Amino acid sequence: MPPRLLIPSASAAAAASAVTRSTLPLNVNQLISLLRSQTKANFSTTSNRTHFSKGRRLFRQWIKGFGATFRKHVPGDTNYLRRNDFDSKSDKPFPINPQFRSEPVLDDHARELIWEKVMRNGEAIKAVSAELGVDIRRVAAIVRLKEVEKDWLAKGQILAKPYAKAILAMLPTHTFKADQRNEPFEPINELHVHPYTMKQIFWPTSESRHFTRADAAKAFHPKMLSADERVPHPELIQMEKEVLEGHSLWDASERFKQAVMESERRAAQKEIEKASIEEKYTTRVHTKRFEYRFKQINSENVGSKGRARNAVGWRYGAPHYDRSKGEIKIPTSVP
Amino acid sequence: MVLKIRLARFGRRNAPFYNIVVAHARTARNDRPLEVLGTYDPIPKPDPYDNSGRLHKDIKLDTLRTKYWIGVGAQPTDTMWRLLSMLGIVEPKYRNTDPRTPPPLPGQPRDTKPQAPQ
Repeated sequence: MPPRLLIPSASAAAAASAVTRSTLPLNVNQLISLLRSQTKANFSTTSNRTHFSKGRRLFRQWIKGFGATFRKHVPGDTNYLRRNDFDSKSDKPFPINPQFRSEPVLDDHARELIWEKVMRNGEAIKAVSAELGVDIRRVAAIVRLKEVEKDWLAKGQILAKPYAKAILAMLPTHTFKADQRNEPFEPINELHVHPYTMKQIFWPTSESRHFTRADAAKAFHPKMLSADERVPHPELIQMEKEVLEGHSLWDASERFKQAVMESERRAAQKEIEKASIEEKYTTRVHTKRFEYRFKQINSENVGSKGRARNAVGWRYGAPHYDRSKGEIKIPTSVP
Repeated sequence: MVLKIRLARFGRRNAPFYNIVVAHARTARNDRPLEVLGTYDPIPKPDPYDNSGRLHKDIKLDTLRTKYWIGVGAQPTDTMWRLLSMLGIVEPKYRNTDPRTPPPLPGQPRDTKPQAPQ
């Protein structure tokens, strides 16, 4: 067990003796340090350092010199460490981990603007995404979370606004201005590399003929869709094609907005149809306590060997995968 | 009374999930049945985005096959009889035996104490 040194009294005694040995009267700093040492709690079992080490000495020099700029944080700007004055302010918060890059975050004004555009002004999500340069999934997530926030405010729930403000002030933020040309936040029309496209194919084609992305897709697989169809914003590609054909940007963008509204309407229609088909096969019985929902199924849809994945019923003899590694046990989509 | 329409318990401890099955009466509860007609989740669940507190129970059932088995003489157990009576496939076994209270007249306050039948 480490020796229990009575640190405050020892240091106090040392300080007192040092003070009495040195000049009298005490100056203010010495008095303060003496008082501090006498009121320290005596719970630490770690022994004092015996000497002022090189590491501590270098740190003291740094914090008095260049490091003094990092003491005070300017809100709205990041405060990441850098080596010297000549290094520019970077997005690397951890100097010895250069792969960790701090990505900009949308601030509250930007999120409020996105919510207003979608919920108040009724713009299509794809239109908001294309105008501001924010990914579709991020726009949808912002709208959902803002709805939860406003629901909480309506119920009188207290939000952690000081905490959010403090955290947001430490990160690089990105903002938008309404009715002005804004910088895009992130690339929105990116496509994941499809495994079918990783195959090396030698496809003989004549040089005089056009070979389009659709032909390339057919070459990879007869049923594969082209990149123009698989991309999140196919309407944007159509808009660019129209501009290249010679239409004005205004006309093309108007047609884009209409196309996007139409695609959203079609998606909503599909959801409604799916729900109505489910409802057709459901019988609802209300009792005093609960509602019983009976869904019609076909018990013979069990596949050729009786092991279809979407057959109804718990499987006989199948183990529980509760403790298996790599299984995703949380919801993977929003209901 | 050889065939029964009954519930085979699966799920986890304190979280049951039943298969609605047709099986011989003398076989074990979780043995392989003649046919799986559907499922019954006895734990009531709320709808997503519904804060009213309303709960529902999800049951999947092949009514056509169930009617066939009832027609050839399979006997449902008490719980299954209750569920099938909700669908109208069989007559309910147990009636509501709560004391009958007349509905409140318009304008009068609702009386929650059950009154004796007159």
